[in-house]
Amino acid sequence: MAKVQVLNVAVLDNPSPFGNPFQFEITFECMEDLPEDLEWKIIYVGSAESEEYDQVLDSVLVGPVPAGRHMFVFQADAPNTGLIPESDAVGVTVVLITCTYRGQEFIRIGYYVNNEYTEPELRENPPIKPDYTQLQRNILASNPRVTRFHINWEGSAERMEDCENVDPTSNSKVPPSCLPGKAPPLGILPDNSMDCL
Amino acid sequence: MKVYGPPWGKPIFSVDIHPDGTKFATGGQGEDSGKVMIWNMAPVLREDDEKNENIPKMLCQMDNHLACVNCVRWSNNGLYLASGGDDKLVMVWKRAAFIGPSTVFGSSSKLANVEQWRCVTILRNHTGDVMDVAWSPHDVWLASCSVDNTIVIWNARKFPEMVTWLRGHTGLVKGLTWDPVGKYIASQADDHSLRVWRTVDWQMEANITKPFSECGGTTHVLRLSWSPDGQYLVSAHAMNNSGPTAQIVERDGWKTNMDFVGHRKAVTVVKFNPKIFKKKQKNGSAPKPGCPYCCCAVGSKDRSLSVWLTSLKRPLVVIHDLFDKSIMDISWTLTGLGMLVCSMDGTVAYLDFSLDELGDPLNEEEKNSIHQNIYGKSLAITSTEAQLSTTIIENPEMLKYQQERQNSAQANLGPGSAGPESSAPKLNSVMNGESLEDIRKNLLKKQVETRTADGRRRITPLCIAQLDTGYGNTSLLLTSASKIEPMKALDSRFTERSKATPGVTAAISSIAGLTISALKDIKTKDDTSSDSEDKMASINKNLSFSKRKPETLMDGGEVVEKRKKGRPRKDKMAAPIAQPFTQPSRVAAPPAPPAALKLPTPSIKKAFSLQVSMEPAVFLEVENEVSLVAGSKLSQLRCSRDGRDWNTLLPSSVVTAAGSSSSLCLHRFDVVAVACQDRMLSVFSSCGRRLLPAIQLPTPVSALHCTAHFVMALTAGATLSVWDVQKQKALVKNESLLTILSGADTTVSQSLLTQQGVPVIGLSNGKSYCFSSSLETWTLIADKGDSLVQCADFRSCLPTQDALVSPGPLAVMQGRNLNAGRLASRLSSTPHHLQQSMTMAFLENQLASALTLQSAQEYRYWLLIYARFLVNEGSEYRLRELCKELLGPVHKSAATAWEPTTLGLRKRELLREVLPVIVENLRFQRLFTEYQDQLELLRNK
Repeated sequence: MAKVQVLNVAVLDNPSPFGNPFQFEITFECMEDLPEDLEWKIIYVGSAESEEYDQVLDSVLVGPVPAGRHMFVFQADAPNTGLIPESDAVGVTVVLITCTYRGQEFIRIGYYVNNEYTEPELRENPPIKPDYTQLQRNILASNPRVTRFHINWEGSAERMEDCENVDPTSNSKVPPSCLPGKAPPLGILPDNSMDCL
Repeated sequence: MKVYGPPWGKPIFSVDIHPDGTKFATGGQGEDSGKVMIWNMAPVLREDDEKNENIPKMLCQMDNHLACVNCVRWSNNGLYLASGGDDKLVMVWKRAAFIGPSTVFGSSSKLANVEQWRCVTILRNHTGDVMDVAWSPHDVWLASCSVDNTIVIWNARKFPEMVTWLRGHTGLVKGLTWDPVGKYIASQADDHSLRVWRTVDWQMEANITKPFSECGGTTHVLRLSWSPDGQYLVSAHAMNNSGPTAQIVERDGWKTNMDFVGHRKAVTVVKFNPKIFKKKQKNGSAPKPGCPYCCCAVGSKDRSLSVWLTSLKRPLVVIHDLFDKSIMDISWTLTGLGMLVCSMDGTVAYLDFSLDELGDPLNEEEKNSIHQNIYGKSLAITSTEAQLSTTIIENPEMLKYQQERQNSAQANLGPGSAGPESSAPKLNSVMNGESLEDIRKNLLKKQVETRTADGRRRITPLCIAQLDTGYGNTSLLLTSASKIEPMKALDSRFTERSKATPGVTAAISSIAGLTISALKDIKTKDDTSSDSEDKMASINKNLSFSKRKPETLMDGGEVVEKRKKGRPRKDKMAAPIAQPFTQPSRVAAPPAPPAALKLPTPSIKKAFSLQVSMEPAVFLEVENEVSLVAGSKLSQLRCSRDGRDWNTLLPSSVVTAAGSSSSLCLHRFDVVAVACQDRMLSVFSSCGRRLLPAIQLPTPVSALHCTAHFVMALTAGATLSVWDVQKQKALVKNESLLTILSGADTTVSQSLLTQQGVPVIGLSNGKSYCFSSSLETWTLIADKGDSLVQCADFRSCLPTQDALVSPGPLAVMQGRNLNAGRLASRLSSTPHHLQQSMTMAFLENQLASALTLQSAQEYRYWLLIYARFLVNEGSEYRLRELCKELLGPVHKSAATAWEPTTLGLRKRELLREVLPVIVENLRFQRLFTEYQDQLELLRNK
């Protein structure tokens, strides 16, 4: 069983201009004192087509983590626009928050992100070269996709292979495996959104 | 009967109803993990509640098990839920400390968890799937069994501590059941055996194989069950004449003469109704003294369920086709009238019985009296606390005590243990009054962010709540026996260190604790005297080490200090240290002494030194034949105390020396005594002043002790003398040891002098005597061969507070063999009343010994244990006599010989301590009231 349970992720400063930093307020609970730090990452999926365009926006160590409930705000700069394919700048993509312990990822939280122009005119006639200053980023905070992996928390050589509890959204129409890298159009998103708060 | 199917449709392997009957837990297969769910009982029981959408059906679901959950069991107190699964883990759940419902983060399920149950402990030890878990009566232990062929007993008061493994099964262990009176645990396995294990020593009591030899096909579980009266154990899958049965095993001799026959396929689960029943009285008919009987439900792979009464030859009811697949588990309500049954097919059925069908359940008192008749009072009483709590309390004082007890019990259990209203405990906030909202507003600014050496960001998370997973400080009754262990440490003080040169001695003293502990370690490894070289080597090693590295020494010192917690006060230890010549090995080893001299004498050395105490640091150094003045040889005695030295000269070689030192006593009267070759005994004050003229001993000295202002000399001629130096009086005058030194080989192996000046002699035959100056006779205070000591079982009466464990001379003399109840296991077939009498006799011996030894603290300690034992056993006459003696006459009269104190303890104060013990058994509330009132009366006088 995982020693760390993510209880909540609140998306702060949302929606916001594209260039604003990402801010996630993460609440987690730890069952026992962890001798090592947790490593959190924010990954921006640049293009649904290929993982090539994934950008690790930032990674932080979080610690020390004694047993108990903790929270912190993870802030990371907006993605480098130069690395995003122009055709994928506008529309739906994904941002991922991952957490690893002793180099093993045990949780992956994914959010759909919709980038669109606020000006109706730009919406109608988007420029060929995206104007990031005019783009607004809207994270679909109400519908996180959580995937948990079973890892070896004890730190011995034994590796755990089986994947724990893949995506509890059992009634979701989207299999979790297509989450990273492939952003389906917003239209097929399930509407049974659940407010995390 | 209603059928209730949890919505997920996966196999349900286990079901268990909460002791309060308001909810039940199921365990089984979830989507990708094991699943534990907690359900509301009300919608199952009442249709209206089922239809009422405001009443939640599911209370909580837990996906934490990685694989199928095979068993869920509530603790008897209802605070915990234990679950075991294919992921080899046992998890223990507790109602968590948050307020309000919540959902699993990221879960799309609208089903909020109404109650929060959180895993507080994961018990990892099994190397295979955990098949069954079971809480012992009173939740002292939790047992789990696994396909790794083992059973693990966990300390349920100190998770995740393991008590023991039960090994012996050669196949997958698939079922467990505790004896309702807590004496045994039984297990059934695929190796065609059912084994019964004793809880006293965790050894196997019986291995029953015959009814299972034919068993072929395997069942997923083999949940066996013990009847509530403890008389019968009923197995799961057994075979009789090629037909599947549930085998009845009688407690008496583990006979297997009867079985439940009729199922077409293997029996998977047997569950006794917790109630004992008696025949329903028909209206108008005269009450018949019917024999009480039990009720048992049997579930099978053939998908049918049968319910049996032990009074009937045929089943009360058989229900076929209740499920589509095998029955996996059965749970009765505590009332005995409802039953939940779960199946592989993913459904749970509720069965409702009426009193007409089952009979009249006996109330707890009647059940208790059955237990008492069969097993005696002490076992029975422990199982009736619940019932006693419903007894009307007649006395407000009694109520107060009861409430105090409950409060302290709850305090021990920590938050969350209170009633249902308060059972959603407060968030253990660490936020100093700031609301969570305020914190969140500024969290980004406030949180501590640093850079690691390699330049990475590191955030220190804000702790918003501490886990309330504590189990409280409920100390285990059973381990408190080990608190006596430190006594053994004292034995190592009888250690020869005289080889050390004076210079080294001083150094030893500075790290006395360290060396002593080193010696102790060596001693436990090898207890022969021949390795004294090694000991010295070790000391020297420590010494040289410490000289080079003083900081290491400090560390060592600290460690030693820690280890010494719970040991007796240093000044008390001083007495044994003070006499380096009574090392047992020395006495055992010497060349045959001359016939006239029964006891060995220390050899004369050129120089020796000894440490009297560590704090204040007092050393004696003796140098014999130090100077020649006019042809006579003089010996020097030097004493250093807290850096202040004195010395004196003696006309003869000093054979042995001893000193007393008390650090706490303000009016201390410390003495130093030396015995010389010319059989002269000299006594000096702590400043070196001679206190008595030289005493002529009849024979050479064998051992010398000083404690407080008492000096004791044991001579080689086997006579003993004790003097009170302060009063300048003899307490014991040349008393011969011949009375106790019976037998040719018996010799003195240990001697000591208590703080009260009572001499104690330990003999090589395991007996210890003290000389009672008031009785003017030798009295036996300890006997290692005493069968009473080894058979007495008073563990349940031991105090739980550390402070009560009392060191003293009695414990020193008995320390090693006071593993009371050690042999009790071998006597598991001993009738209860016999063991009860042995325990009583033992405790009374202890009390008498403590009294003779004038060891007040020990007297008080054993008195309270004795009182608790009397209370537990319901020995009213003795208890009353005890109270009467402690209270004394209420009205003063000249004729009374009653002493208000014993050993300096006020008897009425002792009675005040005994009264709360009496409260623990409500049976004695009249007695309590009586003495409480009289105490009040006396106080007001």
